Amino acid sequence: MDLDYSDDDIAFRAQAREWLTRNLPSEPRPPEGHAAAEWDCAWQRKLSQAGFAGINWPKEYGGAGLSGVKQVIWFEELARVNGPHQGAMGIAMNHAGPTLIFRGTEAQKSFYLPKILNGETIWCQGFSEPGAGSDLAAVKTRGEIDGDHLVINGQKMWTSNAHHATYQELLVRTDPDSKRHKGLTWIICDMRLPGIEIRPIKNMMGERHVNMLFYDNVRIPLENVVGNMGEGWSVAMSTLAFERGIYFVPEQLSLIEKVGVLTELARNTRLETGKLAIEDESIVHRLALLKAKTLAMRALCITTVGSSRQTRQPGPEGSMVKLYVTTVYKELAALAADLIGWDFMSYADDRTSNRWTYEYMWSWILTIAGGTSEIQREIIADRVLELPRSR
Amino acid sequence: MDLEPNPDEQQTIDAASHFLRKSLPVHRLRGADEGRFNPSLRAQLAELGWYGMGLSEEQGGFGLSVVDETLVFREIGRSLGPIAVLGISLAAKIAANAGRSELAASLIGGELSVAIAVDDPNRETALLFEVEGADLAMRLQGGQAQLLSLKNATITALPCLDKSVSMGRADLGGLTCIAETAAAQIEILGRLHAAAMLVGICEATTHMLAEYAKIRETFGRAIGSYQAVRHPCADMAVRGFASRAQLFLAAVSVRDDLPDAQMQVDAAKALANEAATLNVDSNIQLHGGIATTDEHDAHLYMKRANLLVRLFGSRSVLNSILLATPAQH
Repeated sequence: MDLDYSDDDIAFRAQAREWLTRNLPSEPRPPEGHAAAEWDCAWQRKLSQAGFAGINWPKEYGGAGLSGVKQVIWFEELARVNGPHQGAMGIAMNHAGPTLIFRGTEAQKSFYLPKILNGETIWCQGFSEPGAGSDLAAVKTRGEIDGDHLVINGQKMWTSNAHHATYQELLVRTDPDSKRHKGLTWIICDMRLPGIEIRPIKNMMGERHVNMLFYDNVRIPLENVVGNMGEGWSVAMSTLAFERGIYFVPEQLSLIEKVGVLTELARNTRLETGKLAIEDESIVHRLALLKAKTLAMRALCITTVGSSRQTRQPGPEGSMVKLYVTTVYKELAALAADLIGWDFMSYADDRTSNRWTYEYMWSWILTIAGGTSEIQREIIADRVLELPRSR
Repeated sequence: MDLEPNPDEQQTIDAASHFLRKSLPVHRLRGADEGRFNPSLRAQLAELGWYGMGLSEEQGGFGLSVVDETLVFREIGRSLGPIAVLGISLAAKIAANAGRSELAASLIGGELSVAIAVDDPNRETALLFEVEGADLAMRLQGGQAQLLSLKNATITALPCLDKSVSMGRADLGGLTCIAETAAAQIEILGRLHAAAMLVGICEATTHMLAEYAKIRETFGRAIGSYQAVRHPCADMAVRGFASRAQLFLAAVSVRDDLPDAQMQVDAAKALANEAATLNVDSNIQLHGGIATTDEHDAHLYMKRANLLVRLFGSRSVLNSILLATPAQH
């Protein structure tokens, strides 16, 4: 075991730090809407021009071909200067891209991957349905072969950024007689095709980035199938494993910074008792334990990307990381809510109106989206502890 | 940059684990001596080199590192092995740091037993663990780590919740200090290794419960197929996973003398304290009635965890973590 950065790593960090000081966007990101998505794409374009896009993607697909350690160094440097998150580019960079690299055809890779890296295309997900959330294998949206096309009919749910996206990773049932995991297909859907209706869903924070999608005879060329027809479940599981892997690194690193901000807040905030929060031992202990947990996140991060890791495909430990990070996030949000007292109540349906009240609500998105905490526990029970199946 | 044990470190783990399973299985705690530490065991562990692992060869040690030592303590925790190893190995370091190389050699050679002394804020006298047959006591006092001779001490033996550990009280006031060194380094090692034993307990209890959940049936199926059991098992695994990662990071930070090593160790102890407390609880709760009996091992882990959580910091580590700053890269 070692915590040594190679000379190469150190040089890369210096290079990243230097580039960031000169290139951080001067305008703040708009909180939501099309302007926000465009802002995310512009940042991605800038990263791509500087060679900081797809740091651990293979070189042959336009990535920098660097180690997972360097990817984490990049995220650390970004967090250090409070730099931009991937925002609307998140699904393309962490889901669609890695899935295509892993399971796509050469033609798919050479067409779609450069358009992701250079910020030209936003992707959205199309897995969940009204009757298939945690039980993803219950997907009902149909895909019927008609000549060299797949004709899609049905409904998808919770699709973030569908209204900004060019492409979608769509999971459909292509064998009507099939049950559960068999007979599903993962296909790239062009969001500009006729027959797609997007209805926004307003969330409890007052924002509209998730949508309900309806498909009415949407015709997608068969060449867009990723993996083979009927292999959709296994492709989708690759996608989700990527989501639960390195995707959470920026979230982990931002938590370290948030504990610092909360500690500062505790020095300046009085509790109901009249004491400063930092003088209240129960608050101090919760803050300290949170800090310890965020330190452990760095350790988990190194565990996941360390040099002895050979495989690119994350295993079930991604579920352990996701469960840990999101649980700690929730503890942090709850502590912030306790700490700020009456200020918690001031909120105007907009994240900029009250950061901590927003975080408090956002923490449920983290423990539900991308596989609920309960589903992560099921995966850990099955695949880490090898307990008898519950279903 | 890697936090997986390398092949040499894995060998350290395997050797310790093999020895503990073969020679010191948990059921020894049910024997006539309740698994207490004794001179023959002390000599046996000296042959394995367990008291001098973290010392350099010039200091009379075996040139292994604090990382290897941490890995061995994790195995000791997993098997409820003798915590006397902690007192003796820390004493050897105090002696070596104080330039008392003969004393260090005797300790490494297994010739002396060492009790770990802790102050009790509600009593005048100190509490001593692994005190039976102890020649010395090690304590942290006023910024110094001291080795006191117990030759003239009046020790009142007390029953300990963890019967495999002997406990007593003594007034340490008039005792002769035979070696002392700065407390900081000794305390950090004690804390790291107590955390390591707690991580071992976290992992052992997760394993114990998962294995039982595969075979124990209720309402016609294995309890491990019920989400009410599966989900707390998963939480146990995650707590063990995170506290192990932090333990390893802390151990490497101490070995490499990184500027934030103290904070990393404090965090490792805080996490191990929480994780072990919750895991020994879930282990008993989900085993059900059988785990409340003396014949089952679950209570042995609960009792050992309660000792280790208190040893080398519980509240105090929380107070220090907030003040520290992570190293900049």
